[in-house]
Amino acid sequence: MAFTAPPDDAVKYVESLVWLPYHYVAGDYRAVYLRALKDKRILGSRCDKTGKVFVPPVINSPESFAPCSEIVEVSDCGTITTFCIVNIPVIGRNLELPYVAASVVLDGADIPIFALIQECRPEEVHMGMRVEAVWKPDGERQGDHEDILHFRPTSRPRSGEWPRPL
Amino acid sequence: MAQLRNVAIVGFAQLPVVARDEHRTATEMLYPAVRQALEQCGVGRDDIDYQIAGSTDYMDGRPFGFVAALESMGSWPPREDLHLEMDGIFCAYYAWLRMQAGYCDTALVVAHGKVSEGEPRRVSNLQMDPYYHAPLGIDATASSALQASMFMARTGVSDRDLARVAARNRKHGASNPDNQLRSAVSAEELQNTPFVVEPLRAGYLPPVGETATCLILAAEGKAERLCDRPVWIHGVEHRSELQTLGARDLSRSAGAKLASEKALAMAGLDRADQVDFAELAATNPAEEMVLCEALGLDPFGTRPVLNPSGGPLCADPIMSTGLIRLGEAFRQLSGRAGERAVSGAERALVHGQQGHCLQTNIVWICGTKRRWS
Amino acid sequence: MRRPVAVVGVGQTHHASRRSDVSIAGLVREAVDRALLDAGLEHKDIDAVIIGKAPDMLEGVAQPEQYLVGAVGAHLKPMLRVHTAGSVGASTAITAATHVASGLYNRVLTVAFEKQSEGNTMWALSPNLPFTPPLVAGAGGYFAPYCREYIARSKAPLHIGPLTMVYARENGARNEYAHLREPVTIEQVMDTPMLWDPIRFGETCPASDGAVAMILASEELARKGPRKPAWIKAGYTFAEAMWVPNRDQVSPKAGQMCARKVYEAAGITEPWKEIDTAELYVPFSWFQAMWLENLGFCPEGEGWKAIDRGDTRFGGKLPIDPSGGVLCTNPIGASGMLRLAEAALQVMGRAGAHQVEGAKTALGHAYGGGAQYFAMWIVSSEL
Repeated sequence: MAFTAPPDDAVKYVESLVWLPYHYVAGDYRAVYLRALKDKRILGSRCDKTGKVFVPPVINSPESFAPCSEIVEVSDCGTITTFCIVNIPVIGRNLELPYVAASVVLDGADIPIFALIQECRPEEVHMGMRVEAVWKPDGERQGDHEDILHFRPTSRPRSGEWPRPL
Repeated sequence: MAQLRNVAIVGFAQLPVVARDEHRTATEMLYPAVRQALEQCGVGRDDIDYQIAGSTDYMDGRPFGFVAALESMGSWPPREDLHLEMDGIFCAYYAWLRMQAGYCDTALVVAHGKVSEGEPRRVSNLQMDPYYHAPLGIDATASSALQASMFMARTGVSDRDLARVAARNRKHGASNPDNQLRSAVSAEELQNTPFVVEPLRAGYLPPVGETATCLILAAEGKAERLCDRPVWIHGVEHRSELQTLGARDLSRSAGAKLASEKALAMAGLDRADQVDFAELAATNPAEEMVLCEALGLDPFGTRPVLNPSGGPLCADPIMSTGLIRLGEAFRQLSGRAGERAVSGAERALVHGQQGHCLQTNIVWICGTKRRWS
Repeated sequence: MRRPVAVVGVGQTHHASRRSDVSIAGLVREAVDRALLDAGLEHKDIDAVIIGKAPDMLEGVAQPEQYLVGAVGAHLKPMLRVHTAGSVGASTAITAATHVASGLYNRVLTVAFEKQSEGNTMWALSPNLPFTPPLVAGAGGYFAPYCREYIARSKAPLHIGPLTMVYARENGARNEYAHLREPVTIEQVMDTPMLWDPIRFGETCPASDGAVAMILASEELARKGPRKPAWIKAGYTFAEAMWVPNRDQVSPKAGQMCARKVYEAAGITEPWKEIDTAELYVPFSWFQAMWLENLGFCPEGEGWKAIDRGDTRFGGKLPIDPSGGVLCTNPIGASGMLRLAEAALQVMGRAGAHQVEGAKTALGHAYGGGAQYFAMWIVSSEL
């Protein structure tokens, strides 16, 4: 019988590389949202009780506890409510530093989304700034969150006609 | 035993257990369950004082997986809230305890777990201590097989006996529309299925399944208004044991025995067989027999009826498996069990567990009448 | 049935970025042993164990409480495992207090821990989940926009964040268990790199290994103890949904409601006057000013003024985080319980070099999630 030699140093660690595969379900509400990105459309869902619009769509309003059964389209243009300027890299994405991560309420929506702001200097970004989505070119969009490359400053005025029922 | 507050189960809802729900995320599955349970009680979300959720991050495959459950539970305005990294049946315990302390009169108890998204057997391996057990690759099926072998060696229980216990569960489970397995299968057929880990055969183990569950508890005074036939808690106790497989006699469940003795004493009973039926969260027939021995139940007897729902063999949605046992006691004792109703049932024993080889056990005694007058 | 509950023993580990001298179980045991020793008790005196920690992925063990049953002495005892994100340490202790308040348990051990060095925190907290754009770099990336919003609303001068850190480090230097114990100057903080503008590296909490434990007991048993207990006057946990239109993340409603509830239960009407010191959960320096307003110590927009006046400094009118707080020590799952335990030590008069003179009533506070989970208790030297 072969024995391995005892370790020279005291054993201090057990190395364990955890490998756990997961197969996440998007859910119908998130799936309809992602598919619409392919057509340069941003969808939300409207609360049956209060009429408020959630983006991305959710199945119920936590506020009224009513279902949000109606899928509606909102603008790809919105307003920055607050933001920060990030100087450290984010896992899973190769972004030039610094970059601006902002909370943006799209026209027609009642809750903000987190958005990357580009095409301006970070110090130009301010609360209340109008921004619009910059989409991947036609034919390259896959129906995932990378279809919106980022948001950039715009002079487009707040839209009055949103949200639009589908 | 000092006099406690009478607390009752007044509502329970679950989604039918399925191998994989392709249409909803874990917490989206919760929303219809919470709605249904509230509708049963005829109340709105604001009428419930307290909320508590059970889930585990490793099943969800993300840290803080439970945070999204706040949306499905209608957490606005802000609610008094807690989350346990445990099966929902332990959450029900804490809600009951808060009522004993007088902090609340009504509570929403939920459990969720999208088991199909990950690999539960790998996750069960990661529950073991990271230095000695986990590197051996032991998962919950392997540790259960160790337990089964020890139990069979000590007691002389045969493969045939295991098949009979499994067949009884499958027979009962055939009439439960929420089950994942809904067909009766004979002991012969089950005994002919291949070993997964010897001595446990494929026919003795539940398939991977998922659901979301919601139970509503209410204290006396409120309970009668929320439910025409509240199911009262007579006693409850839980106990944990060392995980180390070599440090305890796996063929016995000292924790289940102690928890049941305490729960029975609280209920004013001497023996477990004084109930009409028992719902046991054992996930294979050998484990069920270890549990029966600890509780003093006859796995082949006719009364108490064991697992009228079919038990975890027919549906084992991790994190909800225990809470469903409590929900089944409610359905049985409040006249909502349909064709699987146990005739004349007035009292039930309910068991929940987590960990490997019955490491942590909880035992409840419930009845149709108030415990304390 | 509700009855008085007291803290009769407190124990914590020395906190460091890597406690390679102990296993996970060894770390937890260190805190448990100290708490038992402090209370003059043994494992056999304990009726139940309530354990808490933040995401299991930090250490790579699923539901590690099952493996830790032996280390915490819970064999054949009831044990529950709590997880409420960053607030977990505090909600764990409050869960334990409920056990004693119910009359069903007389002495309960509660323990919380994190051994961040065992795994990869950035990985554990930022999994690459599909369907969500990876954009938020860690907790700082999530919370920095709300610090900015606070600054904009309150018109706070920009030195308030760094000044808060200066005071925290002064306090940490007096706390023998703290992870970061070197004082810093405002210039030193200002000179550190801006990670998530407006949050500088020097204004963030460290990542620590550590654990803390407490023994809670009924009135009768507390009075038999070797020393004066800390009486728990009130303890509550609240949570709110994330996606609520117009939800205010600068001053979350769940925090306001939880504070109102504990004050009401503890009979406090003017927190600034009636509370002698507070241990607030401040992972990024600006949150101290934000919480002073959220918890009703200062009117809206004026939390920063209390810091600027030096009122929150050790020796000031209302010393905040005399232990150095989360800014000096952050074993995530234990951080909330450390706030509650430090509040208890203050009213017991046993906080050592960071004792606030004459402290009779103290607040312990923690929060978690996207500023969604809140847990607080008020402790007092008198029942």
